[in-house]
Amino acid sequence: MHKRLDRSIDLGPYVAGPDDDMIICRCEEITKGEIRKAVHEGMFTTTEIRRFLRTGMGLCQGQTCGNLVRRIVATELGVSVGEIEYAVARAPFRPIAMKTLANEVEEG
Amino acid sequence: MKRYELIVIGAGPAGLSAAIEAARAGMQTIVFDENAKPGGQLFKQIHKFFGSKEHKAKIRGYDIGDDLLREAEALGVKVVLNATVVGIYEGKEITVMIGDGITHYKGDAVIVATGASENMVTFPGWTLPGVIGAGAAQTMMNLHGIKPGHRVLMLGTGNVGLVVSYQLLQAGCEVVCLVDAAKRVGGYGVHASKVTRTGVPFYLGHTIKAIEGDGKVEKVTIAALDDTWAFIEGSDMTFEVDTVCLAVGLSPMSQLTKTAGCDMMANVPVTNGYGETSVPGIYAAGDVSGIEEASSAMIEGRIAGADAAYQAGYLTEVAFKTIVEANEASLDQLRQGMFGPDERGKVQTTTDEGIALSTTLLEKGYLAENEIGYFPGVETRQKGIYPVIECTQNIPCNPCQDACVKGCISIGDKITSLPVVGENIDCTGCGLCVASCSGQSIFLIEEKAEENIAYVSMPYEFLPLPERGDRGLALNRSGEVVCETEIIKLRSSKAMDKTNILTIKVPLDMAMKARFFKPLTEGGAKNA
Amino acid sequence: MRLNEHPILGTFEKGDLVTFEFDGKAMEGYEGEPIAVALRAAGVMTHRHTMKNNTPRGIFCAIGRCTDCVMIVDNKPNIRTCVTPLVAGMKVQTQYGVTADADAKA
Repeated sequence: MHKRLDRSIDLGPYVAGPDDDMIICRCEEITKGEIRKAVHEGMFTTTEIRRFLRTGMGLCQGQTCGNLVRRIVATELGVSVGEIEYAVARAPFRPIAMKTLANEVEEG
Repeated sequence: MKRYELIVIGAGPAGLSAAIEAARAGMQTIVFDENAKPGGQLFKQIHKFFGSKEHKAKIRGYDIGDDLLREAEALGVKVVLNATVVGIYEGKEITVMIGDGITHYKGDAVIVATGASENMVTFPGWTLPGVIGAGAAQTMMNLHGIKPGHRVLMLGTGNVGLVVSYQLLQAGCEVVCLVDAAKRVGGYGVHASKVTRTGVPFYLGHTIKAIEGDGKVEKVTIAALDDTWAFIEGSDMTFEVDTVCLAVGLSPMSQLTKTAGCDMMANVPVTNGYGETSVPGIYAAGDVSGIEEASSAMIEGRIAGADAAYQAGYLTEVAFKTIVEANEASLDQLRQGMFGPDERGKVQTTTDEGIALSTTLLEKGYLAENEIGYFPGVETRQKGIYPVIECTQNIPCNPCQDACVKGCISIGDKITSLPVVGENIDCTGCGLCVASCSGQSIFLIEEKAEENIAYVSMPYEFLPLPERGDRGLALNRSGEVVCETEIIKLRSSKAMDKTNILTIKVPLDMAMKARFFKPLTEGGAKNA
Repeated sequence: MRLNEHPILGTFEKGDLVTFEFDGKAMEGYEGEPIAVALRAAGVMTHRHTMKNNTPRGIFCAIGRCTDCVMIVDNKPNIRTCVTPLVAGMKVQTQYGVTADADAKA
């Protein structure tokens, strides 16, 4: 899936866009411009963008911004959106308080 | 850790159907759903479903939901609500968050029926309060009895956008327009027609440019798109609204199958013909395995449930194959026609019968008067009362055929065929066909040439219900006023399941134009 | 905003009418309905202001997924008001960032 993400490709300089201030990750308030700049700084995958910017790491855990981020990254890299992986899903799939996670209940 | 023979994740149409089929065969089944109410999206669907009798055609979504719940309960299926599956592990073990605790469960088989989530599209102002998903509008109106707003713009003309727009009208909201970047309406023409005849315009080839307001939605500007998806200079249109609804598609919520290690095609788990993923014992059914309709979800659920039961030894091979064959045939029927999965992406120009599709319907959401005469359901007759069926696309649907006890309407074995109104019919004007058409595309016409008037009967599902003698305006298919009119008759019956039949009196030459009734506003000539 | 009668669904079954508090004001709503519904019926559109840009957010998905409708409920932050049932006497506050304090810095 990432075979076309050649790290040596030259994306050229970052050119500001007219909608760079559009909020993409609603929870963490990350803009399109920040995502595009991150790609130019070498973040080519969803995982890298997520760890670098926190897109998808807010309260909704990527439920809303997932595909929006993939599309922006793909466009910036000049590849099809199918080349950008979906965010890895890990347990817990929904926000959960630590005390709940630690409270194992036997089925009554 | 409690072990169950079958764990179903999601109590929507697919999940409940799977649990029912498996429990019927004898499997010990439990269903977990993260919501407070079961049924997934079913209880928000207040319209009559399509398909045929076996697909529960002509039955409203929430009634289907009630039926499923009753069946599941009768079979002893345990449905646990407010139970969120937060993890899936080796050996089909899951962790479920219930209240403030976590419980581990292990399933011999697990069916993932978690449905889909709404797609997103961005534009300036999309985070303002007042911008909501179409699903949110449905939840607010149909579950909680509250209007999402007063004046709404709908983005998206797929079936969700069309159906929710109609529901917004039923809830008393004003829908200022429907907008879609595509050049053609994405959903059923009949769903669009229900909306356009009330006077709501469609703007295809347009999208939202910006939403503005002080702390909340106050106005929205749309503009036309050229072939490069750029806005066309000078095409801006601004509407004052308090709500913008987004209906731009759904995507499977397939994190569970992904984490479980199932082979995926993009974000859709790969399944065999029985719903089983590449991980033995883990199944995917319903929208999570590919976006279709609730009717398809129910069948996929049944097939997966049957397979789980068969693999667990609760069904003989013969019994299993019988169930699967019946369900596959049923599913196949639903996948036929213009909107079937095989037709996606193709630009259609004619129906199966070779009749040119109405381009006005596809581009504006209503049939043009000079197009309808070509369709087998439409033929004006001088004598007596007769149905006019303005159903012009091949979709799997046939309740009209069964509704007529006089055999006036025929569709045949291929349920995607366009309905045909026979040559020498004996229509009694009972109106059952009008009420049973889920697309609300059947009208009764009675011409009274001597008096130069005609009576037009139409389906009506709005409040306030008009009364005999009420005066109003007759609108045509595109929602334009064509003449003044008066209510001659109003019929409601249990058999019609909340679709009222309104009969209005119009000049004779309006018989094939008048398709909707708008009451005169307060202070108008009511009962003059 | 509340529908008294719906052409298909008729009337909506609701719990008892109860009072609750929103940003210090006394409000009314039906016990058991989502807090967000009671607020919307009262014309409240803004549920919180975001941490970074202090922009207003309200109901978006109405199904407990997007977390834009979260508020401080009974002094607990990040409560999804669209799926949390209203209880008599609840204290609901507009959330700024993660607290009820409009002036606190991120």
